[in-house]
Amino acid sequence: MFGPVEKIENFTVEFDEKRILRLIGYKKRPTEIKEPIKSLITEEKEKLDYLLHPASIYTIVGYDETNKHLIFKDAEKVAICICTIGPELEREIKKLMEKNEMTRALILDALGSEAAEEVAIQSDRILAEKAREMNLWPSKRFSPGYGKWDIKEQRFIFRMLPAADIGVRLTESCMMVPRKSVSFRINFYKEQKLSTRRHSPKVS
Amino acid sequence: MNKEEILKRMGKAIVEGNKDETEALANEAIKQRLDLNEVIDKGYVPGIEKVGELWEKGEYFLPELITSAECMKGAMRVLQPELEKAQISAKSKGKVVIGTVEGDIHDIGKNLVASMLAANGFQVIDLGADVKLEKFIEKAEAENADFICLSALLTTTMLGQKKVIEMLKEKNLAGRYKVLVGGAPVNQQWADDIGANGYGENAMVAVRITKKLIGE
Repeated sequence: MFGPVEKIENFTVEFDEKRILRLIGYKKRPTEIKEPIKSLITEEKEKLDYLLHPASIYTIVGYDETNKHLIFKDAEKVAICICTIGPELEREIKKLMEKNEMTRALILDALGSEAAEEVAIQSDRILAEKAREMNLWPSKRFSPGYGKWDIKEQRFIFRMLPAADIGVRLTESCMMVPRKSVSFRINFYKEQKLSTRRHSPKVS
Repeated sequence: MNKEEILKRMGKAIVEGNKDETEALANEAIKQRLDLNEVIDKGYVPGIEKVGELWEKGEYFLPELITSAECMKGAMRVLQPELEKAQISAKSKGKVVIGTVEGDIHDIGKNLVASMLAANGFQVIDLGADVKLEKFIEKAEAENADFICLSALLTTTMLGQKKVIEMLKEKNLAGRYKVLVGGAPVNQQWADDIGANGYGENAMVAVRITKKLIGE
């Protein structure tokens, strides 16, 4: 049984060119991206219209409805969210690798990572706004596997949300499939804390 | 086109990442009945070595390296059937069994390392992703491999790298294979702690270390 769940699908994903170049290995940007790489980047970007299927799903629950892990301490409410760009892009990467098109695969993988992060950023903004509407202070977003929140806590997230509704599942080793998915939580506090964002709630 | 010109153009095509040209030249070499091992050694290999140098100088980046490796693979696909027909085995610097460890489904980094090793003259046996730990050893034994390369992208699955090294010790196979580790959470400290022979921060460093381990 899941609590009240919301789904978002109307994402517009835009790319930061510099970040993409960094992700594919241009640690310091060369003065000019040469052929054939330049064309490959353009061609892979063009595929995104049909390869990206961004979606996210979230729930906002009271502290008592969580598993009361230490990281939720003092939170009035907790927002739990899973975001994805869908399975199509990864299928295309697999096909490219099978065809010895490794550079295209590398570029598409970077675009996918960036798209998944962008969906997470936009979902995060929506949830932070929800906190403010509730007159609460949102923390930054945190994902399992970072800091004191063990990767195994993915199981808690997946108990809280019907992830299958956006086509995401969890493997035994707590990895998400499709891989280009992001899960996170935001704590909503009554009071401003060091870990909360600067913007004040709407009603203060 | 004479032999010298073919060999020169082969290297240039690899450096420029020109797939069509590398494959066309491989076909030309077959047509002219050239010594195919010489074609690889004096045509394509200098090209891939030049690419490595350009990377070391900071003039080439990962996409250029990978494109050149793809070219090399494409050329080898053309040459391999002819080598087999003539019952000549392509020279190999060593046999590498590579895969992403059990529980981990990331494979692009591992595939990049596999491509770069193959392009640099190693025979690569790619077991894929989410590979059972014992399979690395079974395959290395069956293929009489020289290297076992273990990729892991998670802090949880990197423990699999340690386990493989422990399993090798249990089977009295420690030292039989050189074990290389890589992946986002892995570093030199981890490699040292678990007793790996090397750590590849990226695909090109993996090639450099593998070559060093064979004394090149």
